[in-house]
Amino acid sequence: MAGVVVKGHFPRRQIVQIVVTNVSRYLFRGAARNWLRNIGSTAPALSSMTLLLLLTGLVGMVGFALHNLEQAQAAQASLLHVYMRDGVPSADVDVLWDRLARDPRVAGITYVTKAEALARASRMPGLPQLAAASDGNPFPASLDVRVKSIDDAGAIDSLVRTDIAVDPLDPTSYDRGAYQRIQAVLFGLAVAGTSFLLLLGFVAVTVTMNSIRAAIHSRRDEVTIMQLVGAPRWMVRGPFVVEGAITGALSGALAGLITFGLAVAGMAAGAASFTQFAPGVTVTVAAIAAALVFATGLGLGSGSSLISVRRHLES
Amino acid sequence: MRPILEFTAVTRAYGPRLALDDVNLALEPGELTFLVGPSGAGKTTLLKLINREIRPTSGQIWVDGIPAHDLKASRVSQLRRHVGVVFQDFKLLPRLTAKENVALALQVGDLRISDDEASERATDALEAVGLGDRGSSFPHQLSGGQQQRVAVARAVVGQPRLLIADEPTGNLDLETSWQMMDLFADIATFGTAVLIATHNVEIVTRLQRRVMTLVQGRLVRDQPAGRTGRMAWLASS
Repeated sequence: MAGVVVKGHFPRRQIVQIVVTNVSRYLFRGAARNWLRNIGSTAPALSSMTLLLLLTGLVGMVGFALHNLEQAQAAQASLLHVYMRDGVPSADVDVLWDRLARDPRVAGITYVTKAEALARASRMPGLPQLAAASDGNPFPASLDVRVKSIDDAGAIDSLVRTDIAVDPLDPTSYDRGAYQRIQAVLFGLAVAGTSFLLLLGFVAVTVTMNSIRAAIHSRRDEVTIMQLVGAPRWMVRGPFVVEGAITGALSGALAGLITFGLAVAGMAAGAASFTQFAPGVTVTVAAIAAALVFATGLGLGSGSSLISVRRHLES
Repeated sequence: MRPILEFTAVTRAYGPRLALDDVNLALEPGELTFLVGPSGAGKTTLLKLINREIRPTSGQIWVDGIPAHDLKASRVSQLRRHVGVVFQDFKLLPRLTAKENVALALQVGDLRISDDEASERATDALEAVGLGDRGSSFPHQLSGGQQQRVAVARAVVGQPRLLIADEPTGNLDLETSWQMMDLFADIATFGTAVLIATHNVEIVTRLQRRVMTLVQGRLVRDQPAGRTGRMAWLASS
């Protein structure tokens, strides 16, 4: 009988499983073991990066709140509330309306009754309690005048404040230069915040790079042996990058959690004292900020260790 | 037959000093060759060039068909899987057992090798060097001769075409050194080219194998097997 050649069939899935096991061992498990072994030299990098990321998260959220505030102020500055005198006849209001409607600098006018003003105020933190504490409705009716240019708000204010229909004690919501002052303050804060974060980032990256450099030097013999027995470059360098990623991820997770916790605590405290904690910052925003902080930590840790490995590990 | 190792006009300079000067040589499969010469003659430099730890200043180095002189850093590991290396100081990983040290060399070269297969082949290699029963011992639990045997097992487990050894008997007593030489001779019998850099005159003269002599970076003598003369100068080096 003629011989039959039977070709051995090695299942592809089994090969994939073996490769994954080996990669996991040499890249991830080895890195995790070494990270734990070198925890002493990694601690400064871990703490400085946690501090950086925490400040990044907090500064980011404050920046987001300030941006929302600036947007609100811009909208507010182009909307002039002209407060009506209590008991003013509707004919006087109509006359004022007509004067304003004819003015080319005015984009639109809305009449807000006292009831509508109260309803609007009830949606703002702190004001419902104020309304409840006083007899009757303390909020005046108003003509809400939207000007075409923020620069014209002053002129409209001058035009209406002596009108007979307007409250002589508190005629309008106009605050000369308030918007510009806020903008200037925000710009200064943005420059200072960015500079501070860049400095902290530089410190954190340098400290992480040095901790990876120390790890490379402490395992110099091991690295040399791995290279001499033919380990590919990724197998020699990879664990160090993973170690940096672990440092970054842990710092990011810790800083993210603290950021989220502080934001939620701030919101709760704001609600309890009838003040708005930070405009636009909600639980969802805080969660996104925490996720971004984590991702930044992961990127910073891997990136700085990659730079260190490229600098200090010969092929 | 195509040489396993070929040097063509290889020069390596460290600043103004020439560590190797216009060296030409070829090693055939199954050949056991000694590389001798006084300290600083360039033996270690020559071995480092083969393993591409350093690059030549000029000339060509071909290792099993791979141009070591012109190899990108990212491809050096491929070359090293074709070359087994034995060092004077063994270079074993202290946190791994003897068997794990041997298996490591297999798996870093081919990730498709499973733990079971690597363990089986490492055990075979350790048995071949007479250490089948010491696989679970850590390097510090082994004598110098045993550690060197583990290093040889690691060097040959991937069945390289070329084995290089830098003073492999330098830290061993005479009896163990002879055992090591027997081992190298056995390895060469199976077709692997073996190149041993050594100072050990007695071994070189008694074994009567091919001897290449380096002096001040120049290959001054290439004596074929069986014609090794007296090397009195070597004894004094």
